[in-house]
Amino acid sequence: MHRYIWLVPLLPLAGAAINGLLGRKFRFSEKLIGGIAAGSIALSFLITVAAVYSYTFGSQAMWPQTYVTSQDGNSFTWIPGGAVRLTQGSEQRTSIKLQEEAEKKRASLPPEQRNEPILVGGVSDSSQGSVLNVEWSYQLDALSSIFMLIVTGVGLCIFVFATGYMHGDPGFYRFFAYMGLFMFSMLVLVMGSNFLMMFVGWEGVGLCSYLLIGYYFDRQEAANASRKAFITNRIGDFGFALAIFAVIATFGTSQYTGVFAQARNYPLEPLGHWGLLSWIALGLFIGACGKSAQLPLHVWLPDAMAGPTPVSALIHAATMVTAGLYMVTRTNVIFQHSQTMMMVVALVGAATALFAATIGITQNDIKKVLAYSTVSQLGFMFMACGVGAFAIGIFHVMTHAFFKALMFLGAGSVIHGMHHEQDMRRMGGLKKYMPITYLTFMAGWLAICGIPPFSGFWSKDEILWNAASTRHIPVGWIVWIVGVIAATCTAFYMTRLMAMTFWGKEKFLDPPAGGEADEAHASAFDKGLTMHDAKLKSAGDRPRHEPGEHVGHVDHHVHIPHESPRSMWVPLAVLAVLATIGGFVGISTAFTGGKHIGGRMNIVTFLDPIIWNPATSYFGSHEIVDSYGKPLEGTVEMHAVLGTAELQVPEVPPPYGTEGFNLAGAIESKVHNETGTEWVFMAISVLVAGLGIGLGFLFYVKDTSLPEIWATRLRPLYQASYNKYWVDEFYGWAVTRRVMDAARGVFAFDSKVVDGAVNGSAWLTRFSSRVTGITDQYFVDGVVNAVAAFVMRLMSPLFRAAQTGFTQNYAFVMVLGLVAALGMIFGADILGWFKR
Amino acid sequence: MILSGWESVFFWIFSIAAIFAGLLTVMARNTIHSALFLISSLVSVAALFILLQAEFIAGVQILVYVGGVMVLFLFVIMLVNVGSEERGNEEIFNRPRQVTASVIFCGLLAAVLIGALNTGYAGLERRDEMKIRESAEGRRTRDQELATSATGASRLTNDTSRIGNSLYRFAALPFEIASVLLLVAIIGSVMLARTLKQEASVDDVDPEVLRTEAAHDPALAEVQTGPLA
Amino acid sequence: MFKVFIPTLALLFQEANTGRWAVIWQKAQHPDLSKFLIFGALLFIIGVAGVLTRRNIIVIFMSIELILNAANLNFIAMSRYLQDTGNVNAVAGQIFTVFVIVVAAAEAAIGLGIVIALYRNKETILIDEIDILKW
Repeated sequence: MHRYIWLVPLLPLAGAAINGLLGRKFRFSEKLIGGIAAGSIALSFLITVAAVYSYTFGSQAMWPQTYVTSQDGNSFTWIPGGAVRLTQGSEQRTSIKLQEEAEKKRASLPPEQRNEPILVGGVSDSSQGSVLNVEWSYQLDALSSIFMLIVTGVGLCIFVFATGYMHGDPGFYRFFAYMGLFMFSMLVLVMGSNFLMMFVGWEGVGLCSYLLIGYYFDRQEAANASRKAFITNRIGDFGFALAIFAVIATFGTSQYTGVFAQARNYPLEPLGHWGLLSWIALGLFIGACGKSAQLPLHVWLPDAMAGPTPVSALIHAATMVTAGLYMVTRTNVIFQHSQTMMMVVALVGAATALFAATIGITQNDIKKVLAYSTVSQLGFMFMACGVGAFAIGIFHVMTHAFFKALMFLGAGSVIHGMHHEQDMRRMGGLKKYMPITYLTFMAGWLAICGIPPFSGFWSKDEILWNAASTRHIPVGWIVWIVGVIAATCTAFYMTRLMAMTFWGKEKFLDPPAGGEADEAHASAFDKGLTMHDAKLKSAGDRPRHEPGEHVGHVDHHVHIPHESPRSMWVPLAVLAVLATIGGFVGISTAFTGGKHIGGRMNIVTFLDPIIWNPATSYFGSHEIVDSYGKPLEGTVEMHAVLGTAELQVPEVPPPYGTEGFNLAGAIESKVHNETGTEWVFMAISVLVAGLGIGLGFLFYVKDTSLPEIWATRLRPLYQASYNKYWVDEFYGWAVTRRVMDAARGVFAFDSKVVDGAVNGSAWLTRFSSRVTGITDQYFVDGVVNAVAAFVMRLMSPLFRAAQTGFTQNYAFVMVLGLVAALGMIFGADILGWFKR
Repeated sequence: MILSGWESVFFWIFSIAAIFAGLLTVMARNTIHSALFLISSLVSVAALFILLQAEFIAGVQILVYVGGVMVLFLFVIMLVNVGSEERGNEEIFNRPRQVTASVIFCGLLAAVLIGALNTGYAGLERRDEMKIRESAEGRRTRDQELATSATGASRLTNDTSRIGNSLYRFAALPFEIASVLLLVAIIGSVMLARTLKQEASVDDVDPEVLRTEAAHDPALAEVQTGPLA
Repeated sequence: MFKVFIPTLALLFQEANTGRWAVIWQKAQHPDLSKFLIFGALLFIIGVAGVLTRRNIIVIFMSIELILNAANLNFIAMSRYLQDTGNVNAVAGQIFTVFVIVVAAAEAAIGLGIVIALYRNKETILIDEIDILKW
């Protein structure tokens, strides 16, 4: 079945094409559009499930080997080689044995033939380099299969939700066309077998993000946000592109299999040694920062909430922002080679986590809170990757997709139920009116706070444990501390959100000071705005009032919130179930006695062949694999479904030595038990989560005057947090305005100097032409006229006399001429003859 | 190509006749006489052609030149020369000054031409002496090989076949062009010789011109113009 | 009588056989190419004289025909000469003559057409009365 994975990206694309090209022309009904879109995603999901199942557990299971569709011929040469000759690296199908053979052959040739390409085993091996051939083929391995499942599965839930949420919108077909296109791009990204395909998908999701954030294109805010997203993304893409160029130049191929097979042999670059792989990792990480909204390129994510809520759920919670994670994990061999970059990744992730969490505490728009929460959780994921726990990072991607998408959809449901009210200060006590939304949202809340046994707990706890116990970087303990603080903040603001939205007094029953602008549906502008409800001056989560927007009547009609229709709460329920039980695939080894149970169902085991092991320089930390993908003979048997193999985790010597303070090591020396250390850290994680929740309860349920008091007491901190640390303003000043100034300067130069030169030369030409014209007119023509007049006066009577009109005169002249000619020619002869 | 025997006698007769007739053409008072003298000059030249064994050309000369062109001349003379008998005392020559000048120059021309010819021929003779002598015998043998006529009294020359061979093979293009030339001449002469009345009847006259001419000539006014009037 | 007459005859006879005139007589008995060319030239000159001196247009045309005939004679004589001295099939001169005749015919037709048109307009055929194109 896994040979049909090429259908998986194709079906959403087909659905998008049908919806986009024909949807308006033939006036598809909403049902049809939604059916095509969701149906194509459902089909993709089913094929994905079948393919992953057959890849992992089937009779021809290929795990832990990679399956690339070109093995079955399902690929085509996308960018044929020929024009590009690479001088380094070798073409991926030339194995090392063939290379040695070629070398032997070359040495046996006479010196003048040594530089010719040598054919060995049917494959040309030229020391001059190989030809870059880029194919379009899909790769199915552990990492891509997890992402495929997330993208199609969570995507399916969101598509179904969107059919209900976007009901009534005139651009229904456009929305689903863009969403389908996004799914295609994302799937190409995660399924691509080479860097260039990933880049295509990368750019594609950036484009679709632009299209979808700016879905309400008639709103200035949405247009600004979509532009901001795209441009910030592009800045990251610059670094990414440079990294891809470096990869192709170094390794001679862009296929993952080829690159990683070569990269694993490169020497390690510890802290302080900055080498080629560090440069590549830096470029890749810059791309990841842009795409996954890490510091300092995080600014686009909160503004991206101007798009419809399903877009926020899909793109900015579950899939697009995790593309950076996918890329970092995919290239983990490169990252693990460079200790400096690992530290950079971990520290940036930690900083982002804390930064965003502190901003989320003070925001009032429900979607903005969730946005900052996303940024913060992405920071967690990068923390995990930075400390070497790539599998845990992916695990957190998965659980985050579940609970964040759930919460975004829940927020969408709340917004829909509140008739497009997004300000949490106007909500409250919704648990009575929207019970299903409330219950599902609670599942997500508990998950994100990290309460066992919800999914978020497992992943977050593993991250913190790995941060404390990492041997990849020396500053793991700093990362741990920051992560703990960020987790506390996360729990706090999520509890705050729950309290302000679902518990407490129903603030929406109060007479409105003035209706709020509709964030989600542009058509609801008619509700009207008034200016006098702008209490706070900052440019925060408040909807912008467009200049010239008409101020309608103040609507005193109070809307009673209602539960969302079935198309909207069913996906919520599904995601809630996943958020609850989805974490058990990554159950911590502390619970299972130090071993990863569950065989291939355990996510850490499943992802193991992807992760490079610095100790053995092969992929996978277990002895079941000897080289990238091939299991050793005579090792542990792998049974099929829910394989019962138990895998030993051998003691891995630290790749970078044991410098630096290792927190886990410190604790362990006190406890003298490795599992016990883990329990300690787990307890700390739960404790901080409980602390956060408790504080949240205190501030927003028990004593609701406390927020104001503490906001006043910590006024500078509060202002900084509420204004998002003024990052946007800083960028505006430092970057945008400076670029505009440069543009103005260049324009001035062009218009004054360049155009001045052109105009000046034009003036010069005109002037000189005038001068020559006058010369010609008076001087030259004067001479000519004088000469002509003279000649005429002289010759005219003569010529007139010759025109007698008498024909015989003319004939006579002819005879005269004849005589003269003959005389001239034969004159001498004639005279001689006459003289005789 | 030296002629001898009776041929030379005929040469002298015919050439003197041609010159004489030519002179009389120029000097005859009556235009008809001029034409007739020209005809006789042309016929003499044709005889000279036969002496030169260009029989075909001689025939062509008589048929076309005399039979066609000279007849045309005679028609035109009749058309335009009526009343010349009444004007018998008219001068036929130009004013004396012009005549003297012409005669002088013609004398000069004669001197020049004849001098040139003689010197030229001397050189030619020197160059081709051997060839002329050799060709004389060859000519005789060739002449013996010619076919005899039906009466057996003379031989049929192959001059015509030779001309035909060359004319239609190597001179085919000039031939065609010449035919086009004749076509042009025909059309042109027809067009040139139309009267105003004839032109008006086929609507070839500018209406303004027609009106002014009709004022002079009442017969013109009744002309029915063509369908495009 | 006898003293003058018979010796004169005898002198003449002697002259006739060996003198300059004998040579000329000898030469005259065997005319060759040069004679033809000279006669052609004479015809030509007569034609030219006719063109320049006569007043009647038609006669001028006929003089032009004389000129053309002289040219034809030249051509034929040369063609015969070529046949004698080289290629038997050198009939280029005769072919040229054909074309000269053709052109002469065409020219005569057109010219006489012009004459007729001119006569209609000017009622005269004397060339010195037709001098419209003068200054």
